[in-house]
Parts: sequence; C-alpha cells; structure tokens
Amino acid sequence: MRKLIYLMLFFSVFVQAQQPLASNEAEALKAKVKAKSKTTTTISSSFIQYKHLDFLSNDIITKGNLTFKAPNMIKWEYVDPFKYYVIFKDETLHINDNGKESNVNIGSSKLFKQLNQLIIKSVKGDMFDEDTFDISYYKKDAFIEVHFGIKDEQFLEYMKAFHILFNKDGDVEEVKMLEQSGDYTKIVFKDRELNKPVSDAFFAH
Amino acid sequence: MRFLLISCVCCLFMACRSYPEKQNFTEATSQEQTIENPYFSDPSKDYVYKASIDVYGNNFGGLLIVKKMGEATYRIAFTTEMGNKLFDFSLENEALKVNYCMDALNRKLLLNVLEKDFTTLISQNLNVKHAYINAESRIFESELYDKKHFYFLSSQLDKIVRVTNGKEKVVFEFNNVVDNMARQIAITHNNIDLNIHLKTIY
Repeated sequence: MRKLIYLMLFFSVFVQAQQPLASNEAEALKAKVKAKSKTTTTISSSFIQYKHLDFLSNDIITKGNLTFKAPNMIKWEYVDPFKYYVIFKDETLHINDNGKESNVNIGSSKLFKQLNQLIIKSVKGDMFDEDTFDISYYKKDAFIEVHFGIKDEQFLEYMKAFHILFNKDGDVEEVKMLEQSGDYTKIVFKDRELNKPVSDAFFAH
Repeated sequence: MRFLLISCVCCLFMACRSYPEKQNFTEATSQEQTIENPYFSDPSKDYVYKASIDVYGNNFGGLLIVKKMGEATYRIAFTTEMGNKLFDFSLENEALKVNYCMDALNRKLLLNVLEKDFTTLISQNLNVKHAYINAESRIFESELYDKKHFYFLSSQLDKIVRVTNGKEKVVFEFNNVVDNMARQIAITHNNIDLNIHLKTIY
C-alpha cells in the first residue's frame, strides 16, 4: 500500500512537473522568443554540458563559453576539463584543439549548413518552424519546455529532438539534444548576457 | 653471382627470423600462466579519454568512452567534443556489435581495424605462450584473434605490440599510470597511416 502511495505521489509530481501548455500561452512564448531573436545582436554565456550515455555511471561533464554574434557567427569554447573551441563563421568551421588548428569547409555540404543553422537557432531558441519540427509545449515548474521533434529523415540519423527550456522572459536556459537511442547532450546556460558588444575580431582565426 | 646468391639467402634468413630473435630477446622461464592488462578492468569506472586521431594527413578529435559491462563485455563509444555520437559498439569475446555508427564511418575496413584495436586495448586476461626478457622488460607472448601479441612489463604494463610475420604492425603504449589507469595511451599503426593518442579528461 505504501508503495502504491509513493507511486501515485511520484506520478502526480511528474504530471505537475510537465503539463501541456495552453495554446494562448504557447503563442505568447513564441511571440516573445521571436521578438527577442530579432533584437538580439550578441549572446555571451557560460555553459555546462552533460553528455548522458545510458551505459555510463555518470554523465560526462564539460564546461565552457558560448559567444554568438548576428547573423551567424558562433564561438563554442570548452575550457574544462580540456581546451577546445570551434568557430562557425561564413562557410567555414574552424577548430582549435588545444592549439592544434584545422579548418573544415562546410560550403559544399547542405547537411552541415543545416546543422549550423540548427545550432544557431537552438541557442536563440527560435526554432518555431512547423515544417521542420513537430512542436509541443509543456509547463515545467516556473519554466516552459518546448519539444522540437525532428521531421527530416536525414537528420533523424543524428538526432531525434531538441528540448529547449525557456524562462518566463523567453530566454533559453537549457538545450537538450536527444538521440534515437535515448542518450542525450544537455547544455545548461549560465550568466547569459544579451547584446554585449563583441568585436568581429573575436571570431578571427 | 655467388655473392648475390649469398646476399639473397642472408636477406631471406634475416626476414624469416622471428620477432623475439630480431629484437634480441632472451627466452625466460615464466611462473605466470596468464598475465593481466588492468587498464579497462574496473566495471565501476567510466573510462573517458580525449582522443586525437591522425589518419592519412587529417586530424580529428573527440571523446573515446569505454565501460566494462560484464566479465568479457565492453561498451565503447566515440563522440565529438560537442556531444554528437559517432559510434557506439559492444565488444564481447573479440566480436564487435554495432549499436550505432554514423553512415560516413560505417565501412567494413574501418570497423575491422577498430575491432582489432579495441580488442587488444581492453582484453584483460591473456594466456602466456612464451616468456622473454630484455634489458628493460619482461616480455610475454600471447595471442588474440590469431595474431601474436607481445606484452612488455616493467613495474607495470608498458606496451603491447601486435606482430605479423615478425614485424611490428601496431604498438600500444601506456603512460602516466595511476591506480591501474593509463592516463595517456598511444596507438601507432605501422601498416596504415593511422595514429591515435588518448588522454584521460579527469
């Protein structure tokens, strides 16, 4: 009996934690995120990344900084426990792996270009494209979680869905990228600053 | 003409010499029937390495993740630094099962190389066929997937060499060992242009 009560309690907590959002609230969030995306020129944030593989005892935790400058420059930098950064700029992917540098031209690859676009969009949260995603909205405590299920079969090989957690102001708090297997990568943003001046030289390589 | 013939015979004789002969190992009597590679043996540990791979002039990196799941079962996955999974294998009794492999990497030739390399890297208990010594190490000959492997031990397992026709094909070097964990591993292929460097991230 006690087990049953615990079980019911667990499910009631679960249901409370993730309730579908009313459509007017979903529309309000969408409008807020889109408006913010238009006025965002830069994003500077630190992040903690959790790589979850079901077979591991613990998630792999890495930390770093993210800098975005409109329209399409991103520096994604890991500082702990290793030094590594990647710059997405124009048609090139520039990688610096602890001092070892390399460039990948993504101009010829449609898949890479789309992947690049997806990363930029997920950072801003502006992914409300019903042709590309099956979108559903949930209330999660004081936050709103939006599930973007991928429709494109080519992408489904790499990823099943993005789950993005927004705060009440429409800022992205977390991005979770789920694989077909159930394994995922979760990125939790911290100390996020919008529209702080960032020079183009920051993305030079 | 006679000189040429003698030279040829000498060359042939040299080429046919076994690996221990070429390396001037001295045959030794061994008390050990088996030896142990302890570096991936703890099922409670997640082994996570930052990998740097040089292949035919290209360099790329990622995270190599190894977990012992059972007596002879391992999971081995490779992801990019940003978390995208490139492959996820199960390895049991020298046989590789692909749980996931990105299309671009799903090539039989590559999978064969990885199957052999990972089997050598993680196989824990090895039967000793012969034992040798040289100035620095005790050397034990064993066999994995019908290939000769030589295990070089000083106070720890320093090196594994896979040998074919008396020649070193692949060398596995273990450095900076702490608590049965090799914090740095180098895998060097002498038959193909592929070198892998691993460094623990924690």
